Amino acid sequence: MTQASIRNIFIGGTVFFSLLFLYLSYDSLRQMPLRTNEATLTPQVVAGKHAWQKYNCNDCHTILGIGGYYAPDITKVATYRDADWLGRFLKDPEGVWAAKRRMPKLPMSDAEVGDLVAFMGWVSKIDTNDWPRKPMLAAGAPAVSSQAQGRVPGSEGPMLFARNGCQGCHKINGVGGAIGPDLTHVGSRLPDKQAQISHLRDPRSIHPQSSMPAFGKMSEHDLEELAEYLVSLK
Amino acid sequence: MTHATQREAYPYFVLAVLLFGLQLIFGILTIAKYIWPDPLLYVLPFNQSRAIHINLLVFWLLLGFMGGTYYMIPEESETELFSPLIARIQFWLIAAAGVASIVSYLLGYSWGMPFLEQPTAFKAVIVVAALMFLYNVFRTVLKTGKWTAIQGVLLGGMVFLAVMFLFGIVFMKNLATQYFFWWWVIHLWVEGAWELIAGAILAFVLLKLTGIDRPIIEKWLYIEVGLVLFTGIVGTGHHYYWIGTPAYWYWWGGIFSALEPLPILFMVLDTMRHVREKKLVIKNRVALHWAVGGAWFHFVGAGVWGFGHTLPQINVWTHGTQITAAHGHMAFFGAYATLNLMMIYFTLPKLRGWEDYSQSRGIAAFWIMISGMLLMGLALTVSGIVQTYFNRIIGIDFLTTQEYMRLWFEVALASAALFAAGAYIFIYDFFKAGRAGART
Repeated sequence: MTQASIRNIFIGGTVFFSLLFLYLSYDSLRQMPLRTNEATLTPQVVAGKHAWQKYNCNDCHTILGIGGYYAPDITKVATYRDADWLGRFLKDPEGVWAAKRRMPKLPMSDAEVGDLVAFMGWVSKIDTNDWPRKPMLAAGAPAVSSQAQGRVPGSEGPMLFARNGCQGCHKINGVGGAIGPDLTHVGSRLPDKQAQISHLRDPRSIHPQSSMPAFGKMSEHDLEELAEYLVSLK
Repeated sequence: MTHATQREAYPYFVLAVLLFGLQLIFGILTIAKYIWPDPLLYVLPFNQSRAIHINLLVFWLLLGFMGGTYYMIPEESETELFSPLIARIQFWLIAAAGVASIVSYLLGYSWGMPFLEQPTAFKAVIVVAALMFLYNVFRTVLKTGKWTAIQGVLLGGMVFLAVMFLFGIVFMKNLATQYFFWWWVIHLWVEGAWELIAGAILAFVLLKLTGIDRPIIEKWLYIEVGLVLFTGIVGTGHHYYWIGTPAYWYWWGGIFSALEPLPILFMVLDTMRHVREKKLVIKNRVALHWAVGGAWFHFVGAGVWGFGHTLPQINVWTHGTQITAAHGHMAFFGAYATLNLMMIYFTLPKLRGWEDYSQSRGIAAFWIMISGMLLMGLALTVSGIVQTYFNRIIGIDFLTTQEYMRLWFEVALASAALFAAGAYIFIYDFFKAGRAGART
């Protein structure tokens, strides 16, 4: 083939594949308002995105899986942390979640904290084609509860344990974090259910030096269930 | 050097080399933060050190491309540069925008999108500098109107690069839409525009080093960059699996990006063949090392490592893990850092007017850098596999998993130190090679 014909194939092919890409992009951009619930994209969510960029959150945290790999992905955080927890955490990361890898306390105003929480709530509802996939542990946890819900006291415990992120700090049977004490035999150490509930509501009432966040905002029922589960761990 | 104004490339190379050295310091600080509690949490937190690390990368690579272009264009067009003054002003504008951006990160100001953290005012300066650059280069080419394939591909890549940058300047309310267009900058740079520039520079250097006939080199250049664009443009779809975009991108992204290694493989084979069939004695052995080693590392880092997690069935588990970091490091180094190092070593003796000089230090730096980057890429890959398995598949929380990965971060740090040692030997060599006393 002559150089001229190869050049023409190069130019023609590039134009063809560019047009194909532009068409697919056009179609995606047409679908994305629905897939991202643009109707719920309030001025507060936009303000939250401004704050997200202003504090350059994205160079530590990934969002939609993109960004720094230093800290947890934010995409679905609002599905397992409620607005109250997120707000408290943003105001004082280390006070709420003491971890070896630290997040600095940022000079955010209360309004910015609220905006960011609204932003995370909106992001968590984007249709990401089911990414990130539910891992095995999380996928297993609700199954246990739905199977025996409301019949055996404490049967919702494992699900509540997973949903409240307890395993982020605590190990049970070798699975979980190392920030807090191992809970495999916590039922032997603290067999009193009421004491467990008090501890969950306000850890410092039992252990004055504890760095564990208070879970006082859990419902009475959930506290009962979780405490029942914990005392069963002998 | 055939034209005096090719010398305008030199300051670009000097600054590129210095920023490269600075980039590594921030890289090492950044990885250390994965291993030890961070004493600099309120001085230089992770997001700042990462922003500086990746921005210095982009700045020095772009400076290298611009310097390379200023070197090539007069020789290809067989005329002096249109305006050496514009080249100099444009150099200082880019340098000022770069320094101002880095300082603003240190002070905690950022636009807050990865790689595009530059505050908008500095982005505007970069756009102005890019327009001056394009104007200067086009005016030079128009003087003689010699549209060689190498020039065409190079300038096409430069225009493509500048146009795509515009999609990274506007604030969009919808995060998903913002990221949709963010990839038009990031992906279409590294798997589009930059590949054109790299292909053209490599073709130019191979032409001059080997003495192979221009039509052969240029024919292969068209084939390679053609296949790069045919696969790479729609291949952008491998970034559209999980960001709020429709699921049909599994097919478009998966199939097209699975083909992306092919043109790079062609580039390797082609480089090897040109070198084997050379018509000249290749005196500049360091440039030859970077040309051939770079082609291979390009294939491994961008091609193989990219292919490894590009299919949606795999990417659904690995997306946003250290697997991406491993690929990113090896691909940027393999595809673009090596290319600039090749161009710098190719032009250095000509810019400084040496006939014969010691090359052993440059070759030692080559092998140390190649080994360091390969080890670092492997260590980050293993850390990414640990992360994918424990965090994504089993469901152990993020921070606990990071503890399991620690050993591999330590290996990555040691490899990074090895790489940096090689790089600093290179920088020393850049300033010292061929000077009095160093000649053989």
